[in-house]
Formats: sequence, structure tokens, C-alpha cells
Amino acid sequence: MLAFEHVHFEYPETPPIIPDLSFTIGDGDFVALIGSNGAGKSTVSRLANGLLLPTSGKVLLDGADTRTTRTSAIARKVGFLFQNPDRQICQNTVREELAFGLKVQGVPEEEVKARTEEALRDFSLDGDWFPFTRSRGERQRIALASVLICRPKMVILDEPTTGLDYKECIAIMDYITRLNRETGLTVLMVSHDMELVQQYAKRVLVLTNGQLQGDGPVTEIMKDLSILEKAHVRPAQIPALALRFGDRFKDVYTVDEMAAALKAAAKKGGAPA
Amino acid sequence: MNLLQYQPGESFLHKLNPVTKLLAVFLYCVACIISDSIFVELGLIFLMLIICFFAGLGKRALSLTKNLLILGGMMFILQLLFVRTGTPLLKIGSLCIFTTGGVFSALLLSCRIIATMLPMMLLFAITQMTDLCGAMVKRLHIPYRYAFIVTTAFRFVPLFTSEFHDIEDAQKARGVEYDTKNIFKKIGLVVPLVVPLLMSSLKKVDAGAMSAEVRGFNLRTVRSGYRDYPFAAGDGVCIALTVVLIIISALL
Ligand SMILES: Nc1ncnc2c1ncn2[C@@H]1O[C@H](COP(=O)(O)OP(=O)(O)OP(=O)(O)O)[C@@H](O)[C@H]1O
Ligand SMILES: [Mg+2]
Repeated sequence: MLAFEHVHFEYPETPPIIPDLSFTIGDGDFVALIGSNGAGKSTVSRLANGLLLPTSGKVLLDGADTRTTRTSAIARKVGFLFQNPDRQICQNTVREELAFGLKVQGVPEEEVKARTEEALRDFSLDGDWFPFTRSRGERQRIALASVLICRPKMVILDEPTTGLDYKECIAIMDYITRLNRETGLTVLMVSHDMELVQQYAKRVLVLTNGQLQGDGPVTEIMKDLSILEKAHVRPAQIPALALRFGDRFKDVYTVDEMAAALKAAAKKGGAPA
Repeated sequence: MNLLQYQPGESFLHKLNPVTKLLAVFLYCVACIISDSIFVELGLIFLMLIICFFAGLGKRALSLTKNLLILGGMMFILQLLFVRTGTPLLKIGSLCIFTTGGVFSALLLSCRIIATMLPMMLLFAITQMTDLCGAMVKRLHIPYRYAFIVTTAFRFVPLFTSEFHDIEDAQKARGVEYDTKNIFKKIGLVVPLVVPLLMSSLKKVDAGAMSAEVRGFNLRTVRSGYRDYPFAAGDGVCIALTVVLIIISALL
């Protein structure tokens, strides 16, 4: 789906932000991109949908070079949710806002209507809301809905849940996970929240100073505390705890698994260690 | 690079009193406006570039000039087509496209635009807005709130440009075609750019007003500022020179 091939990137008049980066993301994958502030995560996600073009090297989307594809053509394939939803909301009502993306892409009127109503239901939004004065979480939900309504093959989420309460956060992530499972939506998510990453992502890319420090299944990265420390993120608590208990706890990632494992250990007698 | 952003430096231009800079720029513009000679205008542009080179702002001044040339070019074409004095120079059939008077006044106008805009825009390169604000309060005894309004307006310009770029990116990412060649389509695309910009500006202004209020904005007087911004000999020389410029351009 997405391939970075020896991508080198620098902003005008800055040292190279990304010296040499290569990775691929397959169809239907759910990838989390983590790293410290300023590591270049947003830069990578902008490179991935052609908003930025690599100084050298290639970014390929389904085999097409982003340098030779128009951004509007890329936008049909790749949805992008910015951290700040206010940058994209530009219509008077939520209904118009959702329809806007479809109209831009030339979807016929009938279908626009049908899909808008469907999305309003899916995201529990009221079509008549004035979007600008809704709460932060609701605006983020509106923005996400107007991205996903276009049915992209892939979405890039740049810190989609910062500033959202737990319920809003779960609602958004559950919806994305469902699309990922049911329709094979490819997801690239930038996040600092390891609990979220471990709960939803399948694979994790760790970025520091524009270089890939780690790349592997989420279960593996979650237990590699030295990599997580380099990325300046707080490890997810349960896997970190499981790590201290040694080998018997090596498959423990969630609260439920931890509870079960602890009970089992207690039955056998003695503390685990 | 942002063309209006402050560029730190230690040159003689930077060291002038902010009020002097403002007045000198104003006088320089007056010189440009009262002159009716293309050569004087060209001379004024050239002089400004030389001054900038000595102040270490050469690169900035050149890129500014390049940008202003585009504006100058547009004004040139407009004037060329609308001024009808003098003898016809180019005719298609019986339709006169442009005249000698048109060429002359178009050249003069576009040179004048470049000559006046250049020092104004360079003012931003050598003056920090807080200094300009402080100096206006201390030296001209303008009430702080008015000085603040003016300087804040300028300070918001670079902020808005970066916000604007981000918004453009966000809209591009959802498929709005800014690379379209169709002019009418392009005009329709203004809405998704301007509305978010307006909304975020309103929010920023609101937040800014509130934070000014809680920090005791209303209590500020002339004596609240620590820096004094005294005038120096250089300031007098600078103003005298610009006055001489006005006299020269009026006479020539
Ligand atoms: N428009 C720009 N011009 C110049 N430098 C930039 C620009 N945008 C970002 N940078 C620089 O690029 C580096 C990487 O920025 P980026 O936004 O990709 O980091 P990030 O990993 O997304 O950080 P965060 O976690 O804070 O969002 C930073 O050092 C930043 O200063
Ligand atoms: Mg970022």
C-alpha cells in the first residue's frame, strides 16, 4: 500500500529532518508510529500523502510515486486526519461539512445524500449542528467522519485522540478498528499513548531523529523498554509489569490477562517471580 | 522564508530609533510619490538596495524586489491598457491597444509602486514590533492601546501565513484541487481556505484579548515600559538625508 524507499527530507534551511528512511506498510495493516516530540512523525505522515515531497528517494502509494501523482488523486486514496480539526471544517452545518469532501471528489448528488445520512448515524452526529462551536471531541469526530465518508483505502491519523476524553477516544478508535477489520482499511496512526497503541495497533514503527529505531509487532515493541525509552514514551503499564514477573507472564498484555495470570500464580502458591 | 519577518542584526539600520525608522520610511515613500521621473524612481529603488546591502540585508531586499516586480508587472499591464493619452503605438485594425502615454505612465507607476513598497516591507525586517510599540509610546506619547493595536496587527501577519499554509494542506489532503487551472473553480475554492482561517483568527483574538486583560493591560501607562528609546545623532542624520531626498526628487 505504502512504501518509503530511502526517503531523504529536509525543510528549506534546516538540517535533514529525515536522513534515510525505508519501510513498507501492507494493505489492511494497522500501524502505529511513535517517537518523541520533533522526531519527525508529522513530517513522515505528510510525506506519506504527498503534502510534502521527498528531497530524494521515493514514496510509493500502490506503486505510484507521490511526486508524479496529483494531491487530489492521492486524497481519494488516502484520508488524513490532522491533530487540529479546525483546519478542515469550513461549512455551516455538519451535514454540509460531510458532504463537502464527497462533492469535491465529484460523487453524484444522490449518493452524497445517502452516504451523509449514513455517516451521521454511524458517528452519532446531528446534521444541523453549527460545527465551529461544538466541543473539541465533537469537532474531531466531525473531522474524522468527513474523512472516512470518502471511503479511502488508507487513513493517516496524526495524534487523533489528543485532548479527547476516554469515551470519545474509544468511540473513534473502535470505529476505525471496525473499518480496518471489515473493509481492510489501512491505518497509520501517530500517537504518544502507548495504552492506545497496544490496544489497537498491530505493528509499531519507532522513530527517533528521523530514523527508524524499531519496527515490529506491537507485542514485541511493548516489551522492549529500551526502545520505548529512546522514543520518550511511557510504556503501557500492564506489559511493563508483566516483564518484571519473568517468563511465565510473557504473553500478558491486557488487564484481563494479567488478572488471570495472577490468579493462576496465586493458586500455585507464592508470589510470581 | 517569510518576507515580512524580523531579521535580527546589528547594522546601522537596525540600531536606529524605531520611530526614526518609521518616519524615514514615510519620508522615503513621499519622495517616491512626488517624483514624476522614471529615472528618479529607478534611482530610489537602486539606492534602497545599496543601503540594504551595506546593512547585510541584501539577499532579503533582492527577493523582496523580485516579488514586488510581479505586482509591478500587473500594474504595468493594467495602466498600459487603460491610459489613452499620447499617440497610438500598437493598433489592430482601428482598435488602439496602447499609446505612448500609456507606456510612460505604466512604467512610472510600476516603478513607483516598487520604490514605495520596498522600504515599507524592509521596515519589518529591521524592526521588532515590541520595540516599535514601545518607542511610539515613549517618544510620541501615543496611548499604549493604540500603539498595541497597530503593532499587533502586523505581528499577526506571519502567524496567519503559517496558519494559512496548514489550512491549505488540510484541504488538499481531503481532495480540494488547488492545482486546478480553471480560474472559476479556483475562486470557489476560497471558502474552504478562508472560513477556517477566519474562525481560528476569531478564536485567537478572543484568547489574546482575554490574556491581555488578565495581565493588567488596562493599567499600562507611558511609565510602565522599562526601555526608553532615546534619539541619537544617527537618527537626526537619517531624517535629514531623507528630507534631502525629497527635495531632490521634487526638483528633478
Ligand atoms: N515547516 C517547517 N519548517 C522547518 N522545520 C520544520 C517545519 N515543520 C517541522 N519542522 C521541524 O522538523 C522536525 C520534525 O517535526 P515534526 O513536526 O515532524 O515532529 P513530530 O514528531 O510530529 O513532533 P510532535 O510530536 O511534536 O508532533 C522538528 O525539529 C521541527 O522543528
Ligand atoms: Mg506532530
